[in-house]
Amino acid sequence: MKFKGKSFIAIVLSPEQPFDAWFKEVDRIISRSPGFFIDRPIILDVRGTNIPIEDLEQLLDGLNERSIRVMGIDGVSGTRLKKGMPPSFGGGRLASDVAVSEPDTVGDKDNKEVLSADASAVASSETSLVNPKDGDVNGQSVNGHTSAKPDKETSDPVPMEEGASIVIPEPVRSGQSILHPDGDVTVIGSVSSGAEIIAGGSIHIYGALRGRALAGVAGKDNARIFCTKLDAELVSINGLYKVADDFDAALRNSPAQIRFENETLVFEELN
Amino acid sequence: MISSTLYAAKRRSSTALVRDKKLHNLFLLPASQTRDKDALTEEGVASVINELRMYFDWVICDSPAGIERGATLAMRHADEAIIVSNPEVSSVRDCDRIIGLLDAKTKVAEDGGRMPKHLMITRYDTDRAKTGDMLATDDVVDILSVPLIGVVPESKDVLKASNVGLPVTLSDENSPPAKAYMEATRRLLGENIPVTIPEEKKSLFGKLFKGRAA
Repeated sequence: MKFKGKSFIAIVLSPEQPFDAWFKEVDRIISRSPGFFIDRPIILDVRGTNIPIEDLEQLLDGLNERSIRVMGIDGVSGTRLKKGMPPSFGGGRLASDVAVSEPDTVGDKDNKEVLSADASAVASSETSLVNPKDGDVNGQSVNGHTSAKPDKETSDPVPMEEGASIVIPEPVRSGQSILHPDGDVTVIGSVSSGAEIIAGGSIHIYGALRGRALAGVAGKDNARIFCTKLDAELVSINGLYKVADDFDAALRNSPAQIRFENETLVFEELN
Repeated sequence: MISSTLYAAKRRSSTALVRDKKLHNLFLLPASQTRDKDALTEEGVASVINELRMYFDWVICDSPAGIERGATLAMRHADEAIIVSNPEVSSVRDCDRIIGLLDAKTKVAEDGGRMPKHLMITRYDTDRAKTGDMLATDDVVDILSVPLIGVVPESKDVLKASNVGLPVTLSDENSPPAKAYMEATRRLLGENIPVTIPEEKKSLFGKLFKGRAA
């Protein structure tokens, strides 16, 4: 039996006391962006809170009510967790009572590492879509080696290959999201408004970029975004982002490249 | 235009078919008037469409507007899709999403095929497109990247025909929308003719009078 590796960008939720207020904040995010938590791996971070297990249970119930499914809990020892709760995760103290051989267990700790260096990457860009000042939602790249379920995006027509770049031979439509945290993404066609491309490396678009492009989410400063027509909602490289309102009007609708230099995003026309 | 219902599926669809009064090789299968579209099931729709497939050359399944379950069911068993859009940003964006679903959630797509798609733009108003109040056909085609099958101009003839209870193609064959629909049909049947983009057609007199009236 072989285990395959698969990478995800996970959202880290750090609940704060009082939980009622925190849930209100979560509800606000959901009402602003209803699909934000759907089909995304989510980790609950309770490190340093010493949260009683009953409170944690309430917390998970509250999240469940909002259809937020937590894939793992960081900061609680596995032995304290009740049956039916998501597994302990990333704290390095996974209890032996979780069978390591279970291929479908996402919390398969032996083969898993959490690259917290990536935390800021998707974090700031993702949050910025919801609320730039909101500290509740953090991103974290999780590099897993389990034969976990099929991947998140039903409409993603292209299977992912580890480390390699991928080519999407058709336009990326509104509502679709291409997630490739390992390498470059090339799109032959346009990226519609409401679509998003998330790449560990650079993003090349042979068409109009009208949606969101997030390059270098694996912490790569040297990632770039290229497109033949710049009309994006948001571009981001290694967590640094700019929204459409902040773009140089002169570059709108012209071929452009975007790169990361001295902690700013540099927009250049492509000739 | 054929919409199927669970009700129809129960009673064998052939008995639910209504023959059109004017065109004797056109049959209609109306949706249930007494139940809402939630009564539809995937199996029901599949069995109705498969049955109709055996008897007819063309089965045209009208989809409810929007991106709801009704639309997903209607597109599910299609071999070919016509995407109808107004030249408005919101409409075009919904269409974009639907095209994504056509390539992901249909039987053809799941079997690894590609669904042929055609774009039909309706209620096109040349004046408003010129002043930028409305997207131009080129913009719509550019955003959706689907080949254009026809552009139907905005016209009172459509409303007039619908009040008489006739399709515009029968009520006034020479009206601009009727011509546009006929042209689109020929293109769907495989003829290779250029798409006519409705142009402002004002006679010299028309221009003069418009000036006076203002």
